[in-house]
Amino acid sequence: MPRRFRPSRPSSPRTALVAAIALAAALSACSAPGESDSDTRSGSGPIKIAVVNARSGQLSSLGEWEYKGAKLAVDEWNKKGGINGRKIQLKSFDDQGDPTTGTNLARKIDSENYIAMIGTAESAVTIAMAPVLKQAGIPNITSGQSDGLVAQKSPFLFLNGPTSTTYDSTLAKYLIQDKGYKKIAMITNNGSFGKGEHDAFSKAAKDLGVTPVTDQVVTTDQKEFSAALTTIRSKKPEVVFIGSEEVEAGLIVKQARDLGITAPFAGAAPQGTPVFIDTAGKEAAEGTIVSSPYLGNDISPAAQKFAAAYKSAYGEDAELHGAKAYDGANILLTALKSSDVATGKKLADAIRATSYEGLLGTFAYGPEGVGITRTTIGVIQDGKLVEQK
Amino acid sequence: MQDTLQTLVGGLSLGAVYALVAMGFSLVYRTMGLVNFAHADIAMIGAYTASTFYLTSELPFAVAMVVAIVITGAIGLVIERVLRPLENKDFDLMLIGTIGFGIVLQALAVIIWGTTGRAVPSPLHSAPLDVLGIRVRTYDLLVMAVAALAVVGLAFFLSRTKRGAAMQAVAMDHEAATAVGIDVGRSNALAFAIGAGLAALAGGLVGPMLYVDASLGGALGIKGFAAAMLGGFGSIHGAVVGGIAIGVLDSYAAGHFQGYSVLVTFLVFTAAIMIRPTGIFGERTVSRA
Amino acid sequence: MKSRLAATGVLVLAAWALPYGLGSYTVHVVNIALIYALLALGMGLAMGVSGQINLAQVAFFGVGAYAVAILTTHYGHGFWLSALLAVLATVVTGLFVGVPALRMQSHYLGIVTLGLALGFINWITNAHLTGGADGISGIPVPTLPGVDLSSEYLYYYLEVVVFALALLFGLFVVHTSLGRRLRAMRDDALAAGAMGAEIPFLRMTAFLLASLYGGLAGVLYSGLIRYVAPETFSIGNMFILLAMVIIGGRRSLVGCVVGAVGLTMVREWLSDFSTYAQLGYGVVVVAMVVFAPTGLAGVPARLRTLYARRRAQQPSRAELRPFTPYTVEERSGPDGVLLSVEGVTQQFRGLRALDEVTLAVHRGEIRGVVGPNGSGKTTLFNVISGFYRATAGTVRFADADTTAARPYTLSLTGLARTFQNLRLFGQLTVRENILVALDRTRAHTIWQYALWQPGVLARERRLRARADDILERYGLVDFAEADPSSLPYGIQRRIEIARAMAARPRLLLLDEPAAGLNGEEVQQLIRIVRSIRDSGTTVILIEHNMGLVMSLCEKVTVLSSGKVIAEGTPQEVVSTPEVIEAYLGDSDPAELGLDTPRSAARPEHAQEATP
Repeated sequence: MPRRFRPSRPSSPRTALVAAIALAAALSACSAPGESDSDTRSGSGPIKIAVVNARSGQLSSLGEWEYKGAKLAVDEWNKKGGINGRKIQLKSFDDQGDPTTGTNLARKIDSENYIAMIGTAESAVTIAMAPVLKQAGIPNITSGQSDGLVAQKSPFLFLNGPTSTTYDSTLAKYLIQDKGYKKIAMITNNGSFGKGEHDAFSKAAKDLGVTPVTDQVVTTDQKEFSAALTTIRSKKPEVVFIGSEEVEAGLIVKQARDLGITAPFAGAAPQGTPVFIDTAGKEAAEGTIVSSPYLGNDISPAAQKFAAAYKSAYGEDAELHGAKAYDGANILLTALKSSDVATGKKLADAIRATSYEGLLGTFAYGPEGVGITRTTIGVIQDGKLVEQK
Repeated sequence: MQDTLQTLVGGLSLGAVYALVAMGFSLVYRTMGLVNFAHADIAMIGAYTASTFYLTSELPFAVAMVVAIVITGAIGLVIERVLRPLENKDFDLMLIGTIGFGIVLQALAVIIWGTTGRAVPSPLHSAPLDVLGIRVRTYDLLVMAVAALAVVGLAFFLSRTKRGAAMQAVAMDHEAATAVGIDVGRSNALAFAIGAGLAALAGGLVGPMLYVDASLGGALGIKGFAAAMLGGFGSIHGAVVGGIAIGVLDSYAAGHFQGYSVLVTFLVFTAAIMIRPTGIFGERTVSRA
Repeated sequence: MKSRLAATGVLVLAAWALPYGLGSYTVHVVNIALIYALLALGMGLAMGVSGQINLAQVAFFGVGAYAVAILTTHYGHGFWLSALLAVLATVVTGLFVGVPALRMQSHYLGIVTLGLALGFINWITNAHLTGGADGISGIPVPTLPGVDLSSEYLYYYLEVVVFALALLFGLFVVHTSLGRRLRAMRDDALAAGAMGAEIPFLRMTAFLLASLYGGLAGVLYSGLIRYVAPETFSIGNMFILLAMVIIGGRRSLVGCVVGAVGLTMVREWLSDFSTYAQLGYGVVVVAMVVFAPTGLAGVPARLRTLYARRRAQQPSRAELRPFTPYTVEERSGPDGVLLSVEGVTQQFRGLRALDEVTLAVHRGEIRGVVGPNGSGKTTLFNVISGFYRATAGTVRFADADTTAARPYTLSLTGLARTFQNLRLFGQLTVRENILVALDRTRAHTIWQYALWQPGVLARERRLRARADDILERYGLVDFAEADPSSLPYGIQRRIEIARAMAARPRLLLLDEPAAGLNGEEVQQLIRIVRSIRDSGTTVILIEHNMGLVMSLCEKVTVLSSGKVIAEGTPQEVVSTPEVIEAYLGDSDPAELGLDTPRSAARPEHAQEATP
């Protein structure tokens, strides 16, 4: 009942109530509620590390791969006896690809005294979590590659791979300088990843004096691309740049071939994955140019060893995301060891000081949180990514 | 010109799939007054079942489709049984109940098939046809042909067979139908099973065109529903016309407005439906006051 | 009264003390839950209270949050100014999204609003202004002098205050004039229109309320998270919100809040098993819809009914009291024509339901309209009361052309009607049914809700006093709080007439008022109709009970196949050959008791009926 809106008469019990509330409010101003930040993070017991990723919904396959990669690294360390005799405890949290859930989790891992976080693969979620993690002093090794992550300028945020700019400037250099392509078409999606790719590639191409002949933008859940591809076909490009995730890129290539586009496709890491090749079909994917820090499980002895361990642990082939998470986890664990299990700012500094020879190359973090600025060009031949020298 | 026609071809092939989805919606709606929001998720289950039999059991595509249609039809019967208390009653509750069912089906698909989804290779291996520079995939032609056959078959079933006629009678007046000795419950169950079968057909066919994952239903559903509305809810012809209209609209919106295509598609759709709330072929039960 | 006050006090204290016992993570979850609760309130107001299927609530949420983000980061406005503008922007969006509701309802509206929500998500994902898929970060902390709102503990108090005000305002709306009309519209939009509820205006109001709450939630969200991205406003979250409202109980605002807070907590608790949790919500929603459509909020009432049935309640002493006649109005002014129908044709596709119908009804008359089934009687009523717009011809009521008038306009100018198949507002009590019709204020007076609430309450008190009078007069006092659908048929008929008369009409249309009544009830009906006419209201009635028509009506119009085939006094009419042929077929009038005119019962001034 809307009693509250009736004009209240003085000395009614209501007035007393209001007065009581006002008094309570006044008192509470002196002692605001809050949590004394008891940092029980150092000390004994297992070292708690959180893996936050989408474990349900659209992006959960990424989350799955990353968790497996990180888990592999942690298991190897635990087998060797952990760090300073303490076991490492890894727990997976599901952010459902939702920034709000991400912020919930950031608080949760803070209140449950996790000392570091691995993930997420979704730049938007990571950016939403960043301020909370920064405030709580929890270092975060993310597998996002968006330049927006770097723009956060958080001393607690580290990337476990190159940024879009690195991927695409390497690619642009190869396409324009090495191959001499002048007519480049672009098709990117409007998602976080696609937009990052779009901006990074068009800038890199422009710096090299090439303006794309057409610049098509599609949505992330689009499945039918004949309109965009017809336009691209009419421009007769020498190469088509794709900026989208695995499945969509696969569909684009498949439909492009059906429309009679014979030009090769080029893109960043997603185009090197088996999911892309399966979706596009082996024939359609043939000749796709890929810029990736991890071309495959055969690129180095370390990669072969990792791939074998991954296969025996999970019964499936390793791929880029698992490798990135494996590197990220190893960097974190190395820093923990070198800093005697420090937390907060000290741990972040230790990560920054860590130089690590990983699957993706040599990591050395600068102040912006990027540890690696090199990718390799590969080309898909017979359904396999082969390094281009 | 060539671009325009090529875009049209793309829109038509997707439109054929929307038309199949909308037909299932409409059949169930007109027979039992059930707005089935889970319809497209049934299609998604159909797509998964068909691709499972096609890829894993390596059955021929057509056989896999038939198996998927049968299995999905059976799932349809279960759903119908659960929602039966709501039929011809509160539309809003039914709407929400079927949304709930859609959520259940999506979660089940994730639990059974995982989240990665799968690409289904086309069962036809012939190269696309080239007509005056317009490329037409042979598989798309197959999809359009199957959709056309489904329309003709459904129309024949409804107008020329005893069961179909009974279903029409239930659609017009279920009380009168009961009075003349038609088993309304059985007729409704059959309608729902056929609707689910149509959904499975749409899902199975769309597999090789697109990609099968748990969110497939979301992509097909809203546009299939919009197609049914645009054509006139409950009208079989309307479903076909609406489906193709939405497919083509979608395709052109993607061509002209690129990333903003969804916004444009739904704004145009809203405007069209504002002008003619009962759709092109009209509908029985729109409340206007 | 006192216990309620005490309960409110306990709640307030609990809300104040809550953060002291919680960790920072839990407080954050509580903060999120309160935001969802605000959203659910808006959803409940639109969907549960007003019956508008609004699947764009999450877009309203997004507009509010994004507007704050854009205004603070791009334009450098302060948080509070941005918040105010954001709520305004959301309300404007809400009104835009509501426009389709004027043309369509139910699942149609659901799809259209869902489509518009998708369009909105598409726009924020693309536009440069909204930061595209990366969203907008760096929203400033809202400032309050002396309070550090970057602390989630103190932010909680801000949210609690906003939420409490929003809940109280929502309850205030639901339980007073505006909410009653919204609920009446939900239960039966046609009947509500006929009772003077301005349906288009009310539908827009429903969307206005939904967007207002959505906007507030969005503002609080952006102040709390200080980052916005498209994923937060996804269709998946829309369905979660829907699940909250359905599980909690869409028709009860408190239910919506319980659902929102409960589901947010459960979601958080099950966050490690989110796929199974999703399966769980789906199953619970389906189960709720099938077994408990009123949600958790409806459970206590259901248990009470069950308990009452178990105890085999002592026979209730509720009874239909006799009708107290109106005081006879001295007839003043000329007995001119009140309603004239001229050459009205109503075409439905192939069917001509009315064919050039012409008739005129004078002030103070009791007119009978008779005819076989399907002769167009109810269609005629629907044309007169504005439900149908005549294909051709004109309708004039009270010296104005009302051919194209909407039912609510006609109601407000003094026309009331009852319905053949009883159209009482099923979820409203008998008293509320009467109150809906009593309330003659125009919808634009809702500004009072925003600016002068005591005015609303004063009006409410006046209305309730008058409702008591009407309940008393029609002998319905014992059933004032009853659910009308639980009452016997005869009583429901009585309520319909009482409701129509509550609007104090000049013309009352009764559509088969005697259908299903027993002999005694028919006699009571005759007394009531006479008294109504004596009080100054002209009456037209459609009736199959010829005895009633003969005894009550001064003049009878006979329709057959959409045409007027006879008009005159009952005696004249029954002897017309066309009538005997059309209406009676081969049967002998004597068998039907039609040749027993009760001229003695006819009132004196009936003779001046024919112009």
